[in-house]
Amino acid sequence: MGPVMVGPSSSHTAGTARLGRVAREILDEDPTTVRFFLNPPLAATYRGHGSDFALVGGAIGLNVDDPRIPEALRIAEQIGVEVEFHDEDLGDVHPNTVRIEIEGKGRKAEIVGSSIGGGVIEVFKINGFQARFKGDSPTLLLFYRDRPGMISEVTKIIAQEAINIASLSCSRKQRGKDAFMQIDVDSPISEEALARIGAIKEMKDARYLDRIP
Amino acid sequence: MIESFKQLEQLASDRDLAEVFLETDEQEHGIPGDQILEALRKRRQVMRECVERGKGGGTSMGKLVGNEAKLLNEAFRSGKTFLDPLTIKAELYALSVMGENSRMGVIVAAPTAGAGGVVPGMLLALEEERHIDTERTVRALVVAGGIGSIIALSANISGAAGGCQNEVGVASSMGAGAVAYMMGGNTHQSIHAAALALKNTLGLVCDPVGGLVEVPCVKRNALFAVHGLTAAQLAMAGVDSVIPMDEIVEAMVRIGRALPRGLKETAEGGLATTLTGCEIGQRLKDEANQRRAERAAERERVAKERKSGSTLS
Repeated sequence: MGPVMVGPSSSHTAGTARLGRVAREILDEDPTTVRFFLNPPLAATYRGHGSDFALVGGAIGLNVDDPRIPEALRIAEQIGVEVEFHDEDLGDVHPNTVRIEIEGKGRKAEIVGSSIGGGVIEVFKINGFQARFKGDSPTLLLFYRDRPGMISEVTKIIAQEAINIASLSCSRKQRGKDAFMQIDVDSPISEEALARIGAIKEMKDARYLDRIP
Repeated sequence: MIESFKQLEQLASDRDLAEVFLETDEQEHGIPGDQILEALRKRRQVMRECVERGKGGGTSMGKLVGNEAKLLNEAFRSGKTFLDPLTIKAELYALSVMGENSRMGVIVAAPTAGAGGVVPGMLLALEEERHIDTERTVRALVVAGGIGSIIALSANISGAAGGCQNEVGVASSMGAGAVAYMMGGNTHQSIHAAALALKNTLGLVCDPVGGLVEVPCVKRNALFAVHGLTAAQLAMAGVDSVIPMDEIVEAMVRIGRALPRGLKETAEGGLATTLTGCEIGQRLKDEANQRRAERAAERERVAKERKSGSTLS
Protein backbone atom coordinates (compact mmCIF):
# COMPACT_ATOMS: atom_id res chain seq x y z
CA MET A 1 0.00 0.00 0.00
CA GLY A 2 1.12 3.53 -0.70
CA PRO A 3 1.72 6.35 1.73
CA VAL A 4 -0.80 8.49 3.59
CA MET A 5 -0.50 11.72 1.65
CA VAL A 6 -2.08 14.95 0.51
CA GLY A 7 -3.88 14.60 -2.88
CA PRO A 8 -4.25 14.66 -5.80
CA SER A 9 -1.53 12.48 -7.42
CA SER A 10 1.00 10.10 -5.91
CA SER A 11 3.50 10.66 -8.74
CA HIS A 12 3.02 14.39 -8.67
CA THR A 13 2.55 15.11 -5.01
CA ALA A 14 3.90 12.28 -2.84
CA GLY A 15 6.85 11.34 -5.07
CA THR A 16 7.76 14.92 -5.90
CA ALA A 17 7.53 15.98 -2.25
CA ARG A 18 9.97 13.18 -1.43
CA LEU A 19 12.32 14.30 -4.23
CA GLY A 20 12.24 17.84 -2.81
CA ARG A 21 12.90 16.39 0.60
CA VAL A 22 15.90 14.38 -0.63
CA ALA A 23 17.44 17.58 -2.03
CA ARG A 24 16.83 19.33 1.31
CA GLU A 25 18.36 16.44 3.29
CA ILE A 26 21.44 16.28 1.07
CA LEU A 27 21.91 20.05 1.41
CA ASP A 28 21.63 19.59 5.19
CA GLU A 29 20.83 23.22 5.99
CA ASP A 30 17.97 25.66 5.48
CA PRO A 31 17.70 26.43 1.77
CA THR A 32 17.73 30.00 0.43
CA THR A 33 17.19 29.19 -3.25
CA VAL A 34 15.66 26.17 -4.96
CA ARG A 35 15.49 25.76 -8.73
CA PHE A 36 13.42 23.00 -10.29
CA PHE A 37 14.10 21.86 -13.87
CA LEU A 38 11.16 19.79 -15.05
CA ASN A 39 11.24 17.18 -17.80
CA PRO A 40 8.68 18.13 -20.51
CA PRO A 41 5.88 15.65 -19.59
CA LEU A 42 6.12 16.75 -15.94
CA ALA A 43 6.30 20.40 -16.97
CA ALA A 44 3.04 19.87 -18.90
CA THR A 45 1.12 18.49 -15.93
CA TYR A 46 2.79 19.64 -12.73
CA ARG A 47 0.59 22.62 -11.90
CA GLY A 48 -2.69 20.73 -12.21
CA HIS A 49 -1.37 17.96 -9.97
CA GLY A 50 0.05 20.25 -7.33
CA SER A 51 3.65 19.19 -8.02
CA ASP A 52 4.78 22.78 -7.55
CA PHE A 53 3.47 22.85 -3.96
CA ALA A 54 4.81 19.37 -3.33
CA LEU A 55 8.33 19.92 -4.69
CA VAL A 56 8.65 23.13 -2.72
CA GLY A 57 7.05 21.55 0.36
CA GLY A 58 9.61 18.75 0.33
CA ALA A 59 12.46 21.18 -0.27
CA ILE A 60 11.52 23.16 2.83
CA GLY A 61 11.35 19.97 4.87
CA LEU A 62 7.65 19.01 4.91
CA ASN A 63 6.54 15.35 4.90
CA VAL A 64 4.21 13.96 2.22
CA ASP A 65 1.26 13.78 4.63
CA ASP A 66 1.76 17.30 5.99
CA PRO A 67 -1.49 19.24 5.49
CA ARG A 68 0.59 22.40 4.94
CA ILE A 69 1.82 21.07 1.57
CA PRO A 70 -0.87 22.96 -0.41
CA GLU A 71 0.43 26.16 1.27
CA ALA A 72 4.09 25.41 0.57
CA LEU A 73 4.63 28.14 -2.04
CA ARG A 74 3.33 30.80 0.34
CA ILE A 75 5.31 29.40 3.28
CA ALA A 76 8.49 29.41 1.16
CA GLU A 77 7.91 33.05 0.30
CA GLN A 78 7.35 33.91 3.97
CA ILE A 79 10.54 32.23 5.16
CA GLY A 80 12.48 33.84 2.33
CA VAL A 81 13.21 30.86 0.11
CA GLU A 82 13.51 31.85 -3.53
CA VAL A 83 11.83 29.33 -5.85
CA GLU A 84 12.16 28.97 -9.62
CA PHE A 85 10.60 26.55 -12.09
CA HIS A 86 12.12 25.86 -15.49
CA ASP A 87 11.58 23.37 -18.32
CA GLU A 88 14.48 21.14 -19.27
CA ASP A 89 14.68 18.09 -21.53
CA LEU A 90 16.36 15.59 -19.23
CA GLY A 91 16.82 13.01 -21.99
CA ASP A 92 15.80 9.36 -22.06
CA VAL A 93 14.32 9.21 -18.57
CA HIS A 94 10.99 8.48 -16.85
CA PRO A 95 8.42 11.16 -17.86
CA ASN A 96 8.14 12.50 -14.31
CA THR A 97 11.75 13.46 -13.80
CA VAL A 98 13.12 16.62 -12.25
CA ARG A 99 16.54 18.17 -11.70
CA ILE A 100 16.77 20.14 -8.48
CA GLU A 101 19.42 22.74 -7.63
CA ILE A 102 19.25 23.76 -4.01
CA GLU A 103 21.39 26.32 -2.17
CA GLY A 104 21.73 27.35 1.43
CA LYS A 105 23.93 29.96 3.04
CA GLY A 106 27.04 27.79 2.95
CA ARG A 107 26.39 24.81 0.73
CA LYS A 108 24.67 23.71 -2.42
CA ALA A 109 23.48 20.41 -3.84
CA GLU A 110 22.01 19.02 -7.01
CA ILE A 111 19.94 15.91 -7.66
CA VAL A 112 18.17 14.40 -10.64
CA GLY A 113 15.38 11.96 -9.87
CA SER A 114 12.11 10.46 -11.05
CA SER A 115 8.80 10.02 -9.33
CA ILE A 116 7.73 6.64 -10.68
CA GLY A 117 4.30 6.22 -9.06
CA GLY A 118 2.79 5.38 -5.69
CA GLY A 119 5.19 7.81 -4.03
CA VAL A 120 8.21 5.75 -5.08
CA ILE A 121 11.26 7.71 -6.22
CA GLU A 122 14.55 6.97 -7.94
CA VAL A 123 17.33 9.53 -7.63
CA PHE A 124 19.96 8.71 -10.21
CA LYS A 125 22.27 11.70 -9.94
CA ILE A 126 23.59 13.35 -6.81
CA ASN A 127 25.94 16.34 -7.16
CA GLY A 128 26.83 15.18 -10.67
CA PHE A 129 27.61 11.59 -9.66
CA GLN A 130 25.72 8.50 -10.84
CA ALA A 131 23.61 7.20 -7.96
CA ARG A 132 20.64 4.93 -7.36
CA PHE A 133 19.00 6.32 -4.30
CA LYS A 134 15.40 5.48 -3.39
CA GLY A 135 15.18 6.88 0.12
CA ASP A 136 13.70 3.65 1.46
CA SER A 137 16.55 2.67 3.74
CA PRO A 138 19.22 4.43 5.84
CA THR A 139 21.98 5.47 3.46
CA LEU A 140 25.50 6.85 3.59
CA LEU A 141 26.48 9.26 0.84
CA LEU A 142 30.22 9.78 0.74
CA PHE A 143 32.09 12.32 -1.36
CA TYR A 144 35.84 11.79 -1.48
CA ARG A 145 38.95 11.76 -3.60
CA ASP A 146 39.36 8.48 -5.46
CA ARG A 147 42.21 6.36 -4.04
CA PRO A 148 42.95 2.68 -3.34
CA GLY A 149 41.66 1.35 -0.03
CA MET A 150 38.83 3.81 0.50
CA ILE A 151 36.06 1.19 0.34
CA SER A 152 37.74 -1.12 2.81
CA GLU A 153 38.36 1.67 5.32
CA VAL A 154 34.75 2.78 5.19
CA THR A 155 33.27 -0.72 5.34
CA LYS A 156 35.59 -1.61 8.23
CA ILE A 157 34.03 1.10 10.37
CA ILE A 158 30.54 -0.02 9.39
CA ALA A 159 31.46 -3.62 10.22
CA GLN A 160 32.79 -2.56 13.63
CA GLU A 161 29.36 -1.07 14.31
CA ALA A 162 27.87 -4.50 13.52
CA ILE A 163 25.77 -2.92 10.79
CA ASN A 164 24.84 -4.91 7.72
CA ILE A 165 25.36 -3.38 4.28
CA ALA A 166 22.46 -3.97 1.89
CA SER A 167 24.23 -2.56 -1.14
CA LEU A 168 27.22 -0.44 -2.08
CA SER A 169 28.09 1.38 -5.24
CA CYS A 170 30.74 3.85 -6.32
CA SER A 171 31.18 6.22 -9.17
CA ARG A 172 33.81 8.76 -10.01
CA LYS A 173 34.35 11.55 -12.43
CA GLN A 174 37.93 10.58 -13.22
CA ARG A 175 40.54 8.20 -11.82
CA GLY A 176 42.16 9.75 -8.74
CA LYS A 177 39.71 12.66 -8.76
CA ASP A 178 36.27 13.31 -7.27
CA ALA A 179 34.42 10.16 -6.36
CA PHE A 180 31.17 9.15 -4.72
CA MET A 181 30.08 6.13 -2.73
CA GLN A 182 26.54 5.20 -1.77
CA ILE A 183 26.03 2.61 0.94
CA ASP A 184 22.56 1.38 1.88
CA VAL A 185 22.54 -0.07 5.37
CA ASP A 186 20.02 -2.13 7.32
CA SER A 187 20.13 -0.08 10.53
CA PRO A 188 20.97 3.51 11.51
CA ILE A 189 24.60 4.60 11.86
CA SER A 190 25.78 6.31 15.05
CA GLU A 191 27.00 9.92 15.05
CA GLU A 192 30.33 8.67 16.30
CA ALA A 193 30.80 6.19 13.44
CA LEU A 194 29.79 8.86 10.94
CA ALA A 195 32.39 11.21 12.44
CA ARG A 196 35.03 8.48 12.09
CA ILE A 197 34.09 7.93 8.46
CA GLY A 198 34.18 11.70 7.91
CA ALA A 199 37.71 11.78 9.35
CA ILE A 200 39.10 9.24 6.86
CA LYS A 201 41.92 10.70 4.78
CA GLU A 202 40.70 12.29 1.51
CA MET A 203 37.05 12.12 2.65
CA LYS A 204 35.47 15.43 1.70
CA ASP A 205 31.96 14.99 2.95
CA ALA A 206 30.21 12.11 4.70
CA ARG A 207 26.45 12.44 4.80
CA TYR A 208 23.98 10.12 6.46
CA LEU A 209 20.34 10.08 5.37
CA ASP A 210 17.63 8.24 7.22
CA ARG A 211 14.65 6.82 5.32
CA ILE A 212 12.85 9.63 3.53
CA PRO A 213 9.28 9.47 4.89
CA MET B 1 11.36 -11.94 -2.32
CA ILE B 2 8.24 -13.15 -4.11
CA GLU B 3 9.04 -12.44 -7.74
CA SER B 4 5.97 -13.70 -9.54
CA PHE B 5 2.38 -14.74 -9.03
CA LYS B 6 3.33 -18.25 -10.10
CA GLN B 7 5.79 -18.40 -7.24
CA LEU B 8 3.21 -16.87 -4.88
CA GLU B 9 0.67 -19.57 -5.75
CA GLN B 10 3.20 -22.32 -5.07
CA LEU B 11 4.39 -20.73 -1.85
CA ALA B 12 0.96 -19.90 -0.46
CA SER B 13 -1.36 -22.46 -2.04
CA ASP B 14 -2.74 -23.74 1.27
CA ARG B 15 -1.71 -20.88 3.54
CA ASP B 16 -3.16 -17.57 4.68
CA LEU B 17 -2.11 -15.10 1.98
CA ALA B 18 -1.67 -12.14 4.35
CA GLU B 19 0.55 -14.27 6.60
CA VAL B 20 2.78 -15.19 3.66
CA PHE B 21 3.21 -11.54 2.63
CA LEU B 22 3.94 -10.48 6.22
CA GLU B 23 6.55 -13.22 6.60
CA THR B 24 8.26 -12.28 3.34
CA ASP B 25 8.40 -8.61 4.37
CA GLU B 26 9.89 -9.55 7.70
CA GLN B 27 12.57 -11.70 6.06
CA GLU B 28 13.33 -9.17 3.38
CA HIS B 29 13.15 -5.83 5.17
CA GLY B 30 13.39 -6.89 8.79
CA ILE B 31 10.09 -5.19 9.59
CA PRO B 32 8.09 -7.30 12.08
CA GLY B 33 4.62 -8.35 10.96
CA ASP B 34 2.85 -6.57 13.83
CA GLN B 35 4.51 -3.30 12.80
CA ILE B 36 3.16 -3.66 9.27
CA LEU B 37 -0.29 -4.53 10.58
CA GLU B 38 -0.19 -1.46 12.83
CA ALA B 39 0.78 0.77 9.87
CA LEU B 40 -2.09 -0.69 7.86
CA ARG B 41 -4.54 -0.22 10.74
CA LYS B 42 -3.67 3.45 10.49
CA ARG B 43 -4.14 3.37 6.70
CA ARG B 44 -7.57 1.79 7.12
CA GLN B 45 -8.48 4.48 9.64
CA VAL B 46 -7.33 7.27 7.29
CA MET B 47 -9.41 5.67 4.50
CA ARG B 48 -12.44 5.49 6.79
CA GLU B 49 -12.11 9.14 7.86
CA CYS B 50 -11.56 10.17 4.27
CA VAL B 51 -14.80 8.43 3.25
CA GLU B 52 -16.73 10.20 6.02
CA ARG B 53 -15.37 13.63 5.07
CA GLY B 54 -15.83 12.99 1.37
CA LYS B 55 -19.50 11.96 1.56
CA GLY B 56 -20.40 15.60 2.14
CA GLY B 57 -18.96 16.70 -1.20
CA GLY B 58 -17.24 20.01 -1.93
CA THR B 59 -15.44 21.66 -4.83
CA SER B 60 -12.26 20.35 -6.41
CA MET B 61 -9.20 22.51 -7.08
CA GLY B 62 -10.07 22.77 -10.78
CA LYS B 63 -13.78 23.12 -9.96
CA LEU B 64 -14.65 20.33 -12.45
CA VAL B 65 -15.98 17.85 -9.89
CA GLY B 66 -16.97 17.69 -6.27
CA ASN B 67 -20.56 16.70 -5.54
CA GLU B 68 -20.70 13.17 -6.96
CA ALA B 69 -20.46 11.48 -3.55
CA LYS B 70 -23.01 13.84 -2.03
CA LEU B 71 -25.54 13.22 -4.81
CA LEU B 72 -25.20 9.43 -4.69
CA ASN B 73 -25.37 9.46 -0.90
CA GLU B 74 -28.56 11.53 -0.92
CA ALA B 75 -30.17 9.26 -3.51
CA PHE B 76 -29.14 6.19 -1.50
CA ARG B 77 -30.42 7.51 1.81
CA SER B 78 -33.77 8.52 0.38
CA GLY B 79 -34.31 5.12 -1.25
CA LYS B 80 -33.96 6.37 -4.80
CA THR B 81 -31.18 4.00 -5.90
CA PHE B 82 -31.83 0.75 -7.73
CA LEU B 83 -28.56 -1.22 -7.31
CA ASP B 84 -27.78 -3.34 -4.25
CA PRO B 85 -26.24 -1.59 -1.22
CA LEU B 86 -22.79 -3.22 -1.60
CA THR B 87 -22.40 -1.90 -5.14
CA ILE B 88 -23.68 1.54 -4.22
CA LYS B 89 -21.41 1.83 -1.19
CA ALA B 90 -18.40 0.73 -3.24
CA GLU B 91 -19.17 3.54 -5.69
CA LEU B 92 -19.98 6.00 -2.94
CA TYR B 93 -16.83 5.39 -0.92
CA ALA B 94 -14.61 5.53 -3.99
CA LEU B 95 -16.22 8.84 -4.97
CA SER B 96 -15.78 10.17 -1.43
CA VAL B 97 -12.06 9.41 -1.37
CA MET B 98 -11.52 10.85 -4.84
CA GLY B 99 -13.47 13.97 -3.93
CA GLU B 100 -11.16 14.52 -0.98
CA ASN B 101 -8.17 13.81 -3.21
CA SER B 102 -9.29 16.44 -5.71
CA ARG B 103 -9.45 18.98 -2.88
CA MET B 104 -5.89 18.13 -1.76
CA GLY B 105 -7.24 16.36 1.30
CA VAL B 106 -5.28 13.66 3.15
CA ILE B 107 -5.77 10.26 1.50
CA VAL B 108 -3.99 6.91 1.24
CA ALA B 109 -2.21 6.21 -2.05
CA ALA B 110 -3.60 2.79 -3.03
CA PRO B 111 -1.42 2.25 -4.98
CA THR B 112 -1.53 5.83 -6.29
CA ALA B 113 -3.56 8.87 -5.33
CA GLY B 114 -5.28 9.13 -8.71
CA ALA B 115 -6.53 5.55 -8.26
CA GLY B 116 -6.86 5.86 -4.49
CA GLY B 117 -10.64 5.44 -4.33
CA VAL B 118 -10.86 1.92 -5.76
CA VAL B 119 -9.40 -0.17 -2.92
CA PRO B 120 -11.11 1.65 -0.01
CA GLY B 121 -14.35 1.72 -2.00
CA MET B 122 -14.34 -2.05 -2.41
CA LEU B 123 -12.96 -3.07 0.97
CA LEU B 124 -14.83 -0.67 3.24
CA ALA B 125 -18.15 -1.29 1.48
CA LEU B 126 -17.67 -5.05 1.80
CA GLU B 127 -16.61 -4.81 5.44
CA GLU B 128 -19.76 -2.89 6.27
CA GLU B 129 -22.26 -4.78 4.16
CA ARG B 130 -21.01 -8.29 5.01
CA HIS B 131 -20.20 -7.46 8.66
CA ILE B 132 -16.54 -8.37 8.33
CA ASP B 133 -14.22 -7.79 11.27
CA THR B 134 -12.06 -4.66 10.76
CA GLU B 135 -8.94 -6.69 11.52
CA ARG B 136 -9.72 -8.87 8.49
CA THR B 137 -9.90 -5.71 6.36
CA VAL B 138 -6.47 -4.73 7.68
CA ARG B 139 -5.13 -8.13 6.63
CA ALA B 140 -6.86 -7.72 3.27
CA LEU B 141 -4.86 -4.50 2.86
CA VAL B 142 -1.71 -6.61 3.32
CA VAL B 143 -2.96 -8.81 0.48
CA ALA B 144 -3.76 -5.81 -1.72
CA GLY B 145 -0.32 -4.32 -1.04
CA GLY B 146 1.38 -7.65 -1.68
CA ILE B 147 -0.33 -8.05 -5.04
CA GLY B 148 0.56 -4.46 -5.96
CA SER B 149 4.19 -4.94 -5.05
CA ILE B 150 4.55 -8.02 -7.26
CA ILE B 151 3.01 -6.09 -10.16
CA ALA B 152 5.37 -3.18 -9.41
CA LEU B 153 8.39 -5.47 -9.89
CA SER B 154 7.74 -5.38 -13.63
CA ALA B 155 5.58 -2.30 -14.14
CA ASN B 156 5.84 1.34 -13.15
CA ILE B 157 2.69 2.20 -11.27
CA SER B 158 1.81 5.50 -12.90
CA GLY B 159 -0.39 6.86 -15.66
CA ALA B 160 2.67 8.57 -17.09
CA ALA B 161 4.40 5.23 -17.57
CA GLY B 162 1.57 3.17 -19.01
CA GLY B 163 -1.80 4.88 -18.88
CA CYS B 164 -4.68 4.32 -16.50
CA GLN B 165 -4.37 0.52 -16.72
CA ASN B 166 -1.25 0.99 -14.58
CA GLU B 167 -3.22 2.96 -11.98
CA VAL B 168 -6.94 2.20 -11.76
CA GLY B 169 -6.35 -1.17 -13.45
CA VAL B 170 -3.77 -2.15 -10.86
CA ALA B 171 -5.91 -0.77 -8.02
CA SER B 172 -8.92 -2.84 -9.06
CA SER B 173 -6.66 -5.87 -9.38
CA MET B 174 -5.24 -5.39 -5.88
CA GLY B 175 -8.73 -4.78 -4.52
CA ALA B 176 -10.19 -7.85 -6.25
CA GLY B 177 -7.53 -10.12 -4.75
CA ALA B 178 -8.16 -8.57 -1.34
CA VAL B 179 -11.93 -8.97 -1.62
CA ALA B 180 -11.56 -12.65 -2.49
CA TYR B 181 -9.39 -12.96 0.64
CA MET B 182 -11.98 -11.19 2.79
CA MET B 183 -14.69 -13.53 1.52
CA GLY B 184 -12.67 -16.57 2.56
CA GLY B 185 -11.17 -17.35 -0.84
CA ASN B 186 -7.89 -19.24 -1.14
CA THR B 187 -4.68 -18.00 -2.72
CA HIS B 188 -5.62 -19.37 -6.15
CA GLN B 189 -8.91 -17.45 -6.03
CA SER B 190 -7.25 -14.21 -4.91
CA ILE B 191 -4.73 -14.40 -7.74
CA HIS B 192 -7.42 -15.13 -10.31
CA ALA B 193 -9.65 -12.35 -8.96
CA ALA B 194 -6.68 -10.00 -9.42
CA ALA B 195 -6.02 -11.41 -12.89
CA LEU B 196 -9.64 -11.07 -14.08
CA ALA B 197 -9.78 -7.47 -12.84
CA LEU B 198 -6.47 -6.42 -14.39
CA LYS B 199 -7.03 -8.24 -17.67
CA ASN B 200 -10.22 -6.33 -18.29
CA THR B 201 -8.68 -2.91 -17.78
CA LEU B 202 -5.84 -3.41 -20.26
CA GLY B 203 -5.53 -0.54 -22.71
CA LEU B 204 -7.18 1.99 -20.42
CA VAL B 205 -5.56 5.33 -21.23
CA CYS B 206 -4.71 8.27 -19.00
CA ASP B 207 -6.18 11.41 -20.57
CA PRO B 208 -7.07 13.80 -17.76
CA VAL B 209 -8.90 16.95 -18.82
CA GLY B 210 -6.74 19.99 -18.22
CA GLY B 211 -4.12 17.68 -16.68
CA LEU B 212 -6.08 17.56 -13.42
CA VAL B 213 -6.88 14.41 -11.42
CA GLU B 214 -10.59 15.16 -11.78
CA VAL B 215 -12.11 14.17 -15.15
CA PRO B 216 -12.42 11.24 -15.74
CA CYS B 217 -10.49 10.08 -12.65
CA VAL B 218 -13.06 10.65 -9.90
CA LYS B 219 -15.96 8.75 -11.47
CA ARG B 220 -13.66 6.15 -13.02
CA ASN B 221 -12.56 5.12 -9.54
CA ALA B 222 -16.19 4.45 -8.61
CA LEU B 223 -16.89 2.38 -11.71
CA PHE B 224 -13.73 0.32 -11.36
CA ALA B 225 -14.36 -0.36 -7.69
CA VAL B 226 -17.49 -2.19 -8.89
CA HIS B 227 -15.47 -3.83 -11.68
CA GLY B 228 -13.09 -5.26 -9.07
CA LEU B 229 -15.97 -6.63 -6.99
CA THR B 230 -17.39 -8.46 -9.99
CA ALA B 231 -13.97 -9.94 -10.80
CA ALA B 232 -13.71 -11.26 -7.23
CA GLN B 233 -17.23 -12.70 -7.49
CA LEU B 234 -16.28 -14.67 -10.61
CA ALA B 235 -13.11 -16.02 -9.03
CA MET B 236 -15.02 -17.01 -5.88
CA ALA B 237 -17.43 -18.98 -8.07
CA GLY B 238 -14.48 -20.91 -9.48
CA VAL B 239 -13.97 -18.96 -12.70
CA ASP B 240 -10.27 -18.74 -13.61
CA SER B 241 -8.44 -16.37 -15.90
CA VAL B 242 -7.20 -18.33 -18.92
CA ILE B 243 -4.18 -16.04 -19.21
CA PRO B 244 -2.01 -16.33 -16.07
CA MET B 245 -1.56 -13.19 -13.96
CA ASP B 246 2.19 -12.87 -14.67
CA GLU B 247 1.50 -12.82 -18.41
CA ILE B 248 -1.24 -10.24 -17.97
CA VAL B 249 1.23 -7.97 -16.20
CA GLU B 250 3.69 -8.45 -19.07
CA ALA B 251 0.94 -7.57 -21.54
CA MET B 252 0.13 -4.47 -19.53
CA VAL B 253 3.74 -3.31 -19.68
CA ARG B 254 3.88 -3.90 -23.44
CA ILE B 255 0.61 -2.06 -24.02
CA GLY B 256 1.83 0.80 -21.83
CA ARG B 257 4.95 1.12 -23.95
CA ALA B 258 2.94 1.05 -27.15
CA LEU B 259 0.55 3.78 -26.00
CA PRO B 260 1.41 7.15 -27.51
CA ARG B 261 2.72 9.83 -25.17
CA GLY B 262 -0.48 11.87 -25.60
CA LEU B 263 -2.46 9.15 -23.79
CA LYS B 264 -0.11 8.89 -20.83
CA GLU B 265 -1.09 11.66 -18.45
CA THR B 266 0.14 14.52 -20.61
CA ALA B 267 -3.38 15.84 -21.29
CA GLU B 268 -2.46 15.92 -24.99
CA GLY B 269 -4.95 13.32 -26.24
CA GLY B 270 -8.19 11.44 -25.64
CA LEU B 271 -10.77 13.13 -23.42
CA ALA B 272 -8.38 16.02 -22.76
CA THR B 273 -8.49 17.00 -26.43
CA THR B 274 -12.23 16.67 -27.00
CA LEU B 275 -14.04 19.94 -27.74
CA THR B 276 -15.17 20.28 -24.14
CA GLY B 277 -11.85 19.03 -22.79
CA CYS B 278 -9.96 21.67 -24.75
CA GLU B 279 -12.34 24.43 -23.63
CA ILE B 280 -11.87 23.46 -20.01
CA GLY B 281 -8.10 23.17 -20.47
CA GLN B 282 -7.94 26.65 -21.97
CA ARG B 283 -10.08 28.13 -19.19
CA LEU B 284 -7.83 26.55 -16.55
CA LYS B 285 -4.74 27.97 -18.27
CA ASP B 286 -6.28 31.44 -18.48
CA GLU B 287 -7.26 31.36 -14.83
CA ALA B 288 -3.80 30.20 -13.77
CA ASN B 289 -2.16 32.97 -15.81
CA GLN B 290 -4.47 35.53 -14.27
CA ARG B 291 -3.64 34.32 -10.76
CA ARG B 292 0.06 34.50 -11.55
CA ALA B 293 -0.32 38.04 -12.90
CA GLU B 294 -2.23 39.06 -9.78
CA ARG B 295 0.44 37.56 -7.52
CA ALA B 296 3.18 39.35 -9.45
CA ALA B 297 1.29 42.65 -9.23
CA GLU B 298 0.83 42.12 -5.50
CA ARG B 299 4.54 41.46 -5.00
CA GLU B 300 5.39 44.58 -6.97
CA ARG B 301 2.96 46.65 -4.93
CA VAL B 302 4.45 45.36 -1.65
CA ALA B 303 7.98 46.05 -2.90
CA LYS B 304 7.00 49.58 -3.94
CA GLU B 305 5.40 50.26 -0.56
CA ARG B 306 8.50 49.05 1.21
CA LYS B 307 10.65 51.28 -0.95
CA SER B 308 8.53 54.39 -0.41
CA GLY B 309 8.29 53.50 3.30
CA SER B 310 12.07 53.41 3.63
CA THR B 311 12.47 56.75 1.80
CA LEU B 312 10.03 58.38 4.22
CA SER B 313 11.86 57.15 7.28
